[in-house]
Amino acid sequence: MSYFFQLVVSGIVVGSIYALAALGFVLIYKSSKVLNIAHGQIIAAGAFITFALTSKMGIPVYISFLLSMGITFFLSMSVERIFLRRLIGEPIISVIMVTIGLMSIIDGLIFLTPYGSENFSFPKFLPTELIAFGGVSISWTQLVGVLLTATMIAGFSIFFKKSTIGISMRAVSDDQLASMSIGISVPRVFGLAWALAGLSAAAAGCIIGNITGLNFETLQAFGITVFPVVILGGLDSILGAVVAGIIMGLIQQFASGYLDGNFGLNGTAEVLPYIILLIILLIKPHGLFGIHEIERV
Amino acid sequence: MKKRTRMLFKISLAFMIVFAFAFQAQAGQTYKLALSLAITGPTSDAGNPYSKGVEDYFRYVNDMKLLGDDKIDCTIRDDQYKTDVTKRNFEDFIDMGIVFYLNYSTGSTLGLKRDFEEEQMPVIPASFHAGNLDNSNYIFLPIASYSAQAIGLAEYIVKNHKGATPRAAMFLHPSAFGRGPLSDVQKAVKAGLDMNIVEVVEHGKDLDNTAMLKRLQSKGVQYVISQTIQSPVATMIKDASRLGMVATSFGQKGKITFTGCHYTGGNDLVALAGSAAENYYWTTSYIVTSEPGAGTDAQIALAKKYGRDDKAAMSHNYANGVMVAQVAAECIRRAKAKGNKITKETLYAELLQMNGMNAFYPVTTVGPVTYSKTDKAGVDTLQMYSVQNGNFLSVGKPFIPEYTSKIK
Repeated sequence: MSYFFQLVVSGIVVGSIYALAALGFVLIYKSSKVLNIAHGQIIAAGAFITFALTSKMGIPVYISFLLSMGITFFLSMSVERIFLRRLIGEPIISVIMVTIGLMSIIDGLIFLTPYGSENFSFPKFLPTELIAFGGVSISWTQLVGVLLTATMIAGFSIFFKKSTIGISMRAVSDDQLASMSIGISVPRVFGLAWALAGLSAAAAGCIIGNITGLNFETLQAFGITVFPVVILGGLDSILGAVVAGIIMGLIQQFASGYLDGNFGLNGTAEVLPYIILLIILLIKPHGLFGIHEIERV
Repeated sequence: MKKRTRMLFKISLAFMIVFAFAFQAQAGQTYKLALSLAITGPTSDAGNPYSKGVEDYFRYVNDMKLLGDDKIDCTIRDDQYKTDVTKRNFEDFIDMGIVFYLNYSTGSTLGLKRDFEEEQMPVIPASFHAGNLDNSNYIFLPIASYSAQAIGLAEYIVKNHKGATPRAAMFLHPSAFGRGPLSDVQKAVKAGLDMNIVEVVEHGKDLDNTAMLKRLQSKGVQYVISQTIQSPVATMIKDASRLGMVATSFGQKGKITFTGCHYTGGNDLVALAGSAAENYYWTTSYIVTSEPGAGTDAQIALAKKYGRDDKAAMSHNYANGVMVAQVAAECIRRAKAKGNKITKETLYAELLQMNGMNAFYPVTTVGPVTYSKTDKAGVDTLQMYSVQNGNFLSVGKPFIPEYTSKIK
């Protein structure tokens, strides 16, 4: 039975990290209906900024982590200001193409540094002992990942529900023209959405980097890995990202724990989440928590 | 008068041409070689130091005049691990008139195999996939194939395991590169290697390997043989370390001993996995700079001479690049010594004669490079290393896997 509970805990841990990584997609889509294909690159950049601040400048990891979230906040805001603001009102496909171009540019910039093609790991900053209870164990990195995800998700949920800016962002997401007509600055909302996405990407990058080690290809690939989570959650729902992330994490762990290596099966942990995704999308085409818009003509 | 002037002009022109040729001969010839590899993009953590190794050794050959006044001009291009770009690069290189080609990935080596045959171009890739050699005359692996490495690991396990038949799992990259050795290890088991392969795992981009590791443990797996890249191995051994599953000595009862082929190990694994890499067993034909020796001194001196940082200087993939450049330069030197013109045909012939008394001993490997019509894997010898206090150190003497010849 402890094996089952271990898989549940591992699934929730992995799912939480997926949700954190998916959050950036959701924040941008929620306000601007744009899918940022370069999100994986920002995740990687956040992790490497933290590492660089710690290894080159001797800043403690905790502070580097906060600084890197601040840096990616302004970096992403600048990206939006320079590349995307002039595309407001243009077809969505044009904006997505720009994010694809952005992906190549960030790739190129990172490859100009040693971080593009060398491997690193964060210095140890968390206890290495396991946290074990009833035959189930979890590492400090994983626990911090779950807590950080929970804090950020709760923070963003309150922000969108209670703060004026958050409500403005939701209004822009619903109807840009109507929002402008009541005095909301749509460009400012877009900039803030990108900035918050950058902030969450840095957090995700640091957690993933602490688990896998700092390898650019591995880190940036998580931008694509969490894509099914975003789709399943419904693209514009923070709660959807969390639920979908945990569903994906659990499916992966159960597939790996009970199917792989048995019945002649292998690699089901990689495939099964996509099969479940397809089935759910057949039933709920807008994802679990996606908004189904009905246009009246 | 006019005739005389014309005559004088012709004689002067003839002298000028003869002088120009003589000067050119004195200035030496330039031999064009090329390398296409991933300096950026996937696997660039291996490709980057590899390219530096190739570049530095050819610079050294030219600077030290190891080929007299002749020079090697090696064009190195980044293909970002994309086979279509590699193909385009190779076609450009052919137009440039190269006489020897260095390739990189398994995918592009398999993809361009026909091109190499058509062009009759001697090729040494950075991929050690045994399948590269199937139906090919012109591809030469620098060292023992991944299959030979995995069989070598399996043999080492069988020889050093105490107790009943060892139970092992294979942890593979989901590609031709990863899957290649599986059937050969299975053949070795059928041929009498006393090992039980309990499970074959093709990994994904896992953030948590708990389920897989617990499953392996429940099946009594004592050893894991990995054929992939460092990153997934790092995540796996970090999880295993967290779960207290890693054997602290080879074959420790109730624990798992993790082992792997060339691209799973080296300093990059230690950089990614940190202390979780302790007691990881790794095999390759290359020397490591954490072991003192002439090869280590030469490798570090070469890297320092050309201003490389410590990370590149200490990389086994830098040694990998230096070694393939050494083989290419040696072929040119031997062909020149015989008075042969340097062409792809003469260099191919030199590769085929590199055996017996003519074996080549680069200091960057643990054994000699031998090639022949029937042997296209350069260094057959392997060395087992294990991580002790963050460094890969030799375990035992270099060895040649026995079952590689038994399963042919």
